[in-house]
Amino acid sequence: MSAKTAQSIVREKKNIRDYLASFFKWVLIIFFAVYTLFPLLWLFLTSLKTNAEYFDNPFSLPAVPQWQNYVNAFQQANLGRMISNSVIVAVTATVINVMIASMLSYCLSRFKFKGREIIFTFFSVGVLVPLNALMVPYFSIFSKMGLVDSLGALIILYAAIGLPISTFIIRGFMSSFPAEIEEAAYIDGSGFYGRFFKMILPLTKTGLVTAATFEFITCWNEFVYANLLTSSPVTKTIQIGIRYFTNQFTTDYVSMYAAIIISIAPSIIGYMLFQKQVISGLTSGAVKG
Amino acid sequence: MEVKKHDIKNICIFILPGLALFTLFFIIPVGYVSITSFFEWNGITSPIFKGLYNYKDIFSDKVFWRSVKNNVLWAVVAGGVQVPLAMLMALILSKKPRGWQFFRTVYFLPQVISGIALAMLWAAMYNSEFGLINGLLRAVGLGEYATNWLGTVKTAFPCMLIYWVFYIGYYMVIMLADITNIDESYYEAAQIDGADGIRQHIHITIPLIKGSFQTCVTLAMIFGLRTFEQVYLLTNGGPANRTSVLVLYLYNQMKTNNYGGANASSVMLILTGACVILMIRGIFAKLNKE
Repeated sequence: MSAKTAQSIVREKKNIRDYLASFFKWVLIIFFAVYTLFPLLWLFLTSLKTNAEYFDNPFSLPAVPQWQNYVNAFQQANLGRMISNSVIVAVTATVINVMIASMLSYCLSRFKFKGREIIFTFFSVGVLVPLNALMVPYFSIFSKMGLVDSLGALIILYAAIGLPISTFIIRGFMSSFPAEIEEAAYIDGSGFYGRFFKMILPLTKTGLVTAATFEFITCWNEFVYANLLTSSPVTKTIQIGIRYFTNQFTTDYVSMYAAIIISIAPSIIGYMLFQKQVISGLTSGAVKG
Repeated sequence: MEVKKHDIKNICIFILPGLALFTLFFIIPVGYVSITSFFEWNGITSPIFKGLYNYKDIFSDKVFWRSVKNNVLWAVVAGGVQVPLAMLMALILSKKPRGWQFFRTVYFLPQVISGIALAMLWAAMYNSEFGLINGLLRAVGLGEYATNWLGTVKTAFPCMLIYWVFYIGYYMVIMLADITNIDESYYEAAQIDGADGIRQHIHITIPLIKGSFQTCVTLAMIFGLRTFEQVYLLTNGGPANRTSVLVLYLYNQMKTNNYGGANASSVMLILTGACVILMIRGIFAKLNKE
């Protein structure tokens, strides 16, 4: 009898502990989710209110959704132009970046030659250099090239500063590709370029997409150098654009909030559609590097 | 693959663009800031060699030291609070509670939003008149605590630090991936020995993900040192330079054409980064020995 009660006491104790652990677990899980979603949802709802409604009560729901706020934001700040600038810069920089990184990765992963380790070490250190510390030299470089206040400056800079990470990601994928298959292609008479374009690139597509995702998001969201290197309205990117709302709409809060939503909507939609690639793109540099 | 003779030329062609860009945008700029930090230079007239003058100049500036202190604090909060929280959530989600994939998606969301948009979102949250935080305080009868969060000396910097600490998704995903790679048989053995979930985490999971934890701490601290846009947008270093950070400090030096001072600050920033990395390596090497 005594053995039985001891057992049931143990079981009961375990049950209380399990319930408590489960309770705290769910408190944490829900806290972090609400913390992330609630401010965004609030911003979205507020962007559909009139200013009067917003000033009156920050919690109320919009009586009639004011889609007009979005039209205002678009027109007043020339958002269309800024979005197209951002797309041009991000797409071009990503294409150049991934092309150069995959060429370099091919050599670093498939061939043994002098200096390979040195290049690799330099790139590892490059990932960790605080790039914001290099504002003065980057500004000088582009002044000398006559590219200040042009989209070209941003394209070249973004392609360059993303190079170490893209190279790490792509090199990781290319290294895991067995050498025998390439040797066989070589014996069959396939040349250097043939092997690279017809074999290596198609077979490491996942790596290329991962690196491209990382590079594209970084370009789309970049602020520091866009702020430093561009100044005229025709070269502004969306991140610079929304920053200027803080000056333009000092009283028109709801349109400002609409503009913020416009700027983050493409990122959120893209994330929802390509979640797997986005997550692996943004984190694989850290894991593989 | 062994290098064939006729491939040498092709390899050179393939390496050249990457190497050229890296040299132009990494090696030369770092050399350039190091050298020009010893010169007085306004960006127009030719630089004059001044030895350690720029360093003495910034070292005697209170705002510089305030910025260093803020940066260090920022890095410590990122590495010491944000990453451990991320690990806690990675441990919880690794047991695959109901809806864990949904929560992973949500936690990662801030990572795809630009720093400037997040800063603007939080400017709206902290707004003294119409912000959500003061609104909440007033709604629950704590209206007397409502304040101008970013404009008050006491609250400005803590507010700047607090809002991103709970955005843990990035580090959580890195550690979660690492946990998923752990061999199931470890846990099966532990279960037979009667170890419960929490004990399994302490004795199996945490020791096995030390590597990715270290990576996350390093990344978090480096990101902390690079901080710029949040501060630039939310307070621009104010009130009374309380929230200044090194990158903002060097940006302001550059804007006032004190290029020598800006470059000396750049060198200090790069050195601080190197120190942080070496320190983390040292600490983890010691931990691994024990």
